[in-house]
Order: sequence, then structure tokens, then C-alpha cells
Amino acid sequence: MNRTCSPKLHSLISGLQISAVLASALYFLAACSPARESIPETSTDIDGLMYCAEGNPETFNPQLVTSGTTLDITAAQLYDRLIEYNAEAQEFEPSLATDWHVANDGLSYRFQLRNDVEFHTTAWFTPSRTLNAHDVAFTFQRWLNPEHPFHAVSNRGFPFFHAAGLSDLIESVTAINSHEIEIRLRQQDSSFLANLASDFAIILSAEYGEQLLTAGTPELIDYQPIGTGPFQFAEFRKDVLVRYYRHPKYWRTLAASNQIVFRITQSDHKRMLMLLTQDCDISPFPPARDVSWLRQQPQIDLQDTISPNTGFWAFNTDRPPFDDPMVRQALAHGINRNAILSTVYFDHAVRADSILPNTSWAHHGTPSAYRYDPELARELLQEAGFPNGFTMQIWALPVQRAYNPNARLMAERIQADLARIGVQANIVSYEWSTFRRRLAAGEHDSVLIGWSADHADPDNFFRPLLSCAAKASGNNRAQWCDPLFDELLSAAIASNDPKVRKIYYEQAQEHLAQEVPLVPIAHSIRFQAARANIQGLVLEPYGGIQLRNAKRVHTVPAEQQNEEE
Amino acid sequence: MPRYIARQLALLLITLLLLTIFAFCLSYWFPGDPVTNSAGIFLDDPRYQDIAKARGFESNVFVQYWHYLQHLFRGDWGVSLLDADPVFEQLQLRFGATLEIAILAMLIAFVPGLSLGVIAALNFRKAADNIILGLSLSGYSIPVFWFAQIAILVVSVHWGALPIAGQINPLYAIQPITGSILIDIALSQPEQAGAAFRSALRHITLPVLVLAIMPTVLLTRLMRNSMLDVLDKNYIISGYAKGLSTPRVIWQHAIPNAMQNVVRELGSLLSLLITNTMIIEVIFSWPGLGNWLIRSIYERDFPVIQGGLLLIAALILSVHVLLNLFHAWRYPQVRKDLYAAA
Repeated sequence: MNRTCSPKLHSLISGLQISAVLASALYFLAACSPARESIPETSTDIDGLMYCAEGNPETFNPQLVTSGTTLDITAAQLYDRLIEYNAEAQEFEPSLATDWHVANDGLSYRFQLRNDVEFHTTAWFTPSRTLNAHDVAFTFQRWLNPEHPFHAVSNRGFPFFHAAGLSDLIESVTAINSHEIEIRLRQQDSSFLANLASDFAIILSAEYGEQLLTAGTPELIDYQPIGTGPFQFAEFRKDVLVRYYRHPKYWRTLAASNQIVFRITQSDHKRMLMLLTQDCDISPFPPARDVSWLRQQPQIDLQDTISPNTGFWAFNTDRPPFDDPMVRQALAHGINRNAILSTVYFDHAVRADSILPNTSWAHHGTPSAYRYDPELARELLQEAGFPNGFTMQIWALPVQRAYNPNARLMAERIQADLARIGVQANIVSYEWSTFRRRLAAGEHDSVLIGWSADHADPDNFFRPLLSCAAKASGNNRAQWCDPLFDELLSAAIASNDPKVRKIYYEQAQEHLAQEVPLVPIAHSIRFQAARANIQGLVLEPYGGIQLRNAKRVHTVPAEQQNEEE
Repeated sequence: MPRYIARQLALLLITLLLLTIFAFCLSYWFPGDPVTNSAGIFLDDPRYQDIAKARGFESNVFVQYWHYLQHLFRGDWGVSLLDADPVFEQLQLRFGATLEIAILAMLIAFVPGLSLGVIAALNFRKAADNIILGLSLSGYSIPVFWFAQIAILVVSVHWGALPIAGQINPLYAIQPITGSILIDIALSQPEQAGAAFRSALRHITLPVLVLAIMPTVLLTRLMRNSMLDVLDKNYIISGYAKGLSTPRVIWQHAIPNAMQNVVRELGSLLSLLITNTMIIEVIFSWPGLGNWLIRSIYERDFPVIQGGLLLIAALILSVHVLLNLFHAWRYPQVRKDLYAAA
């Protein structure tokens, strides 16, 4: 039948074909036409920065966490601290406190506060006064005093302060007058100022606290935050974004960008693609294997800093068989850390022979304790009563951190190494906040995680990580509590003499090499990639990122303009 | 017809009821505590006792099911185990985002899908037919995530033409109301509505086009086969015999009749489309249902899995029934067959 009417059909078919071709052409044109505007849209239309964050913040109050992801998103953006640490000059600098004075006995610290510091004005809070000593006292009492109305509202505890021993150290925090505050210590502590300068010691608003108490919603203090920082909170959509606007009455120079959006993007490859397609302006932790490629891209600016950090593999010493030091030594000798350095870090790291980074003055490496020696590992396992090995879990952290760019891959390498000494390992991973919650509860056998320095004092790598206090606060990934080790640490911080401290820290590191609650793996370089037209971005060695001076400049590189025309 | 409508609606109701029973049973079949699995409240939560009581867990299974239905209709679908977000509110927002790209992809697929199908049928076993068939076969056999990767690589990374993540440039603060970004912009009327709208269009283009490939090739094949059937029918020959022009025969007789078979198959197309939408959402960071559901499956977030399954299954079922009704209403022939059978 088709054939009989083909002459007539022919015209129709060609008509149809033309219309179909037209339709599809229109269709693709419609799809493509906005593309021409791509470059202007992102660079001129709207002021603001897009930072692709590697995970969701757990809360908006850094007092409650030790996770670097949360610290990066909250600490330096929403809040200020009393003092700050200048890594270049290696000294403390004034921030909210203009001046401070330490009494001769080293037990009393007095801080003079600035009198021109405004809190954020938002839809849910309008401050009636500037910052004063009452706010500082309120902030400290919140985590010091278990009776404080805000102490328990978050159900999280204050892991850093407890683990670093500050809760036991501070005897009292008193407002001397409206702009002077005194902190009294129970004993001397050489790391105290460093801890005050860390990202955790931010200052909250007492007035906001009172308002929330009256309203009966104290828990909002951590979810609708009010601080004094360069940005104020606007919106959080889990898995999508966090939005901040510039704080218009910031006491320092106002933030350079009107708006900051943290786009939550877990995958490092996705983040890199988004950086290339201008869906992000800044992207932390690019994939290690792409670092050298990124360096060659003219439109990308790759920054790095030797941020003292340690990636490690911690054993849950509460759980058999990891309660036996011999088993832990065996596992330490069972893994090839040099191979991990090249496959996971692409050699952008050095091997760690101590929990304390090699840049610290108190570093004392014990390479023999963690040497790769599968023969020895098998012997030790046999001696410990596991001639046929056992089955264990390795928890791999789900986000990328400077100390571990790809924990999953590392876990696979370790799995393969362990199989050679007869230990069968299963890899476990959860979404970041779940992961941390379960870790704090001690549900793991062993975990690949790490620690980045919050300040330059060596104590930052011992007490918050491995002390009994750290175990109690859920920050001790090894669940390890050794009175001898704690004594060495206390002795070290009680002195102000670096020589004396160094001797104690050496002994502490020797002790760790014997007990092996964790195997240090690498000290790595922290990378951050940004579009080349982002200015004012600095990557500090200590603590979280600083975005207040970062902004997009509107000049389009010359070659791109030519392409446009 | 009223009888048919009643029968279809009854069928829908019964199936939905069975579905809720299945979803209810999941709380028991999932590992762990059934109250936690359905409400998202952990055992150590102070509210646990109250919620267990409100959900009837002190009584027998039938009472529990009754309370489950009550909670369901009240919009209290429990909270996520991960972040304590209310499941129902989140589902609403994310469902809007999912429907947005699924519907747009479906609509867009009609234009080239149907026209290519007609062209192929009219050129039966000629070059055009072979080319279209070849393209549709390869389009059908290549998985959607591969298309997405290639599109990202070529269009976005290589040409720098389109963004690859999210619904809109996030610097435009658009309050999520329905979850569908285009509707939300229209509703919230931001200052730079025009620019925001353009940005949203640019963000939606790539996911929708990639998503439209599968329905396009399927519609092409369906339409082609259906047209071939119809073109062999006697009424087409008699049309020509009466001296109707070819365009008239094709437009007024062949295509409308060929659509009958296509409409019948649309339902099964939809299930495939929803599955593909989930994959596309993950690739393009689209904050939709699929993205959430896939994460919740990975994290064993049972209240979310339960709610998501219920919603998607209910959607597919309802669309099937609606299509059946439309089919019967639009084509008297079908109706007659139905009554003949009954």
C-alpha cells in the first residue's frame, strides 16, 4: 500500500522531515542559546562566592565539634575569638581582646575587650548592645559549668575543651568590669593561650542566649547562630547549601564578598568538575592524582600549605583483640605505609613516624615501631594467640581531609596488606555525621582518620587525641586510656621550658611506639583550588579557612574575551 | 464508562491499600526496632515511649496498622534517622524537584520521539527508517549515566556552556516552596527574577535533555511500530480510495489511531523514566527524591526508604490508572472492547 501512493507520500515525507529537522534544531537551539551568556552570568550578575564544601556541617557552633569540615564552614566565618595566632610571626595577636596580661604565677589571665564589636542582626535576633565581658563569661560557662542552662541543650558535649583538659584546668571565669575578664587556672598550662586562639574558642552572645531561654527554645543557639564574625547565617539546606550574608557592622574591615554559599559536594571529582565549569569558585581537597594537572591550568589557582597534620589508623583498644598491644604491633608491622604514600597521597605527603608532625619542635620519630615487616607481624600474631588471624573492620572516613585525601582507597590497600598476614578486613563507611556519631560511641574496630593542628603547640596532638579525658569526651578514636601516658602529658604542659617539655614529649612518643594505640601514616600537604579570578584567599597552616577577604574580581582574562567576540 | 471508572478507581484504592500494608510491614522486616524504623525515633530518645504509644505499638498489629494509616494521612511520616528532618516535608520538596525534570523530559521527548517514529514508518525499510532505527537502538542500549558523563564532559567541561550541579546558581536565594525551581522563582518573585530564571533554565537543560533521550528513543520505536500497523488497516486504503489527500490520511486517520497504542505504553515508560531520574539526580546534584532515596538506602535510613517507596509506587500506580481512564475516554473502540469482555 505504501508503494502505491509513494509519489504523493514523498512530498509529505519531505515536509515532515523538514519539520522534524526544524523542530529538533529549534529544540537544540533553545537548549544552547543561554550558553552564550554563561561567562557573564556567573561573573558579573551577582556578587558572592561559591565554596564547594566536602560535607554537611554537623552544627553551627564550633565548640561542639572537632570535625574540620564544620570548623571550616563555621568558625572564622560566623565568629571571632579573643586572640588569634599568627603563624608567620609565630605569636598571638589581638582579636576581640585588645590586650592580655598573665599573672606572674601563670594562673591568672586578664583580657581587655574591644568595645566596638557588634553582634549579627538577623530576622530572629536584634542585639541591643555591643560585646562585653558578660558574653565572654557566658560562652565559657556554657562548656565549663554542667549546671549552665545551655550546657546540655545540644546533646553533644564539648569534645575539644574536655579532651584538651580545659574543663578541668579553668577554675573560674569572672567579668572584672564590663570590658575586662579574668580567667583563673588551677595549674600552669603552657598550651592555654594556644587553645584560646584555636577555632573552638569562639564567643557567643549572652543576650541571644537570654532571648532563647525566655522563648523556651535554647537548642536554636547552635542552629540559628549569632556571632560577631564577618558573615551572618541565612540558610541551611542539608546536602545542598549553607548561605551566609556579609555582616554589615563587622568590627574589622567588612567582608569583601556580599554573600558566601557553601555548596555541599561530597565527591572530590565532582568538586573538581564544578570548579572547572564555574559551579564553584573555591574547592578544598582536590583529588590527589589531579593536583599536578590542576597546577598547569591557567584558569585555576592551586594553593597549598604545610598544615601540620597526621593521618592515622586507630584501633579500638576497648575491643578484643585490639586490647592486646601485641596484636596492635602486629597490625602496625603488617601494613606497607610507603606504598600508601604513593598510591593514596601521590607523594604529596611524608611518612609519619610519630603522631606529632615532623614540623613540630617536640617531634620524635620511632620508625622501627611501625616498620613494614609481614614476617614479624605473623610471628606477633602467633604469639598473641591468633595463628590463623581474625576478621576485623576498618572504618574509612567518608570525606576528604588534608591528612587523608582518599580513606576508602587507603582502606583497600590496608585490606590487601592485612590479607597477607592472615587478617581479613571489611571496610565500613557512613555519611560523615553518622560516621562521627558512631565513632564517638566506640562502635568501630579500627578507623582511618586523622588530626589537623588547631594551633602550634605540640599538646594539640596528644591531649585532644589520646588522653583519658579525650576518651571520656568521645574524641579518642583509640578509646585508649593510659595513666602513665596522661602523667607524661601533664608533666609536659606544667612546664614552660621547651627543653623540659621536649623530654616528656619524647618519652610520651616512645610510650606510644610501645603501645601502638594507633599507627601514624602520613603528614600531608593541604591543597585548595580556586578560580584564578578569586582574590584575597589565604590558606592558613592552623585552623579553618578564612573567607572574609576573598572576592571574585570581574576582569575576564583577555583570551577569553576574544573568544567571546 | 462510569462502571469502568468505578472499577479502575476501586482497583487503585485496593492496590494502594495493599501498598500501605506492605510499607507498614517493612517496619518489621527491616532490621532493628519497628518503632524506630517507622517513626525515626531512637530507643534512647525521651520521646520514644510517647511515640510508641501514639503509633499503637502497645497493642496488636491491626491497631498498629490503623494508627499507621492515621499518621500517614495526617502527613506524619516520621523523621529521618540521620538528621531528624520530617520525612513528609522533605518528600514534598524533593518530589517537586523530581517531577519537574521528569515531566519536562517526558514533554520534550514527545516532539522528536513521535515525529521520528512517523518518519521511520513512512519510510519503512528505507534509509531514513534504518538510520532512525539504528539511532534509537543505540540510544536505548546506552545507559543514561554514560550519556550524562559524556554530556558533562563535552558540553560543560570542554565548551564551558552549561553548569552541571544543582537547580540554580546558589547565589540567587530562592526559597524552596514547591521544590520545582521554575515554579518557586515564579512564586517568590526575587529581585533579579529574570536572571534567576535564566540561571535556572541553564541548570535544568542538561539533566532534562539527558533524561529525555530514553523516552525519545522508546517513543520513536513505539510510534513507528504502531504507525506500521495502522497504515496496513483497511480504513487507510479506503481513505485513499475516496480520494483523500495523503497529508489528510496521515494527520487525521493514521496518526490519531497510531497514538492509541502509544498512550497505552506510556505507563511503563514512566516507571523507567523515574528510575533514570534518580540516577540523573545523583549525577547532576539535583535535590530531588532520587538523590535522597539513594542516600537513605546507602545509610539505611528506614523511615525515608519507607516513605520514598510509598510515594513513588503510589505515583506510578496513579499514573497507570489515569492513563487507563484517559485511554478509555479518548478511544471508544477500547471502551467497547472492555464492555465486551465484561
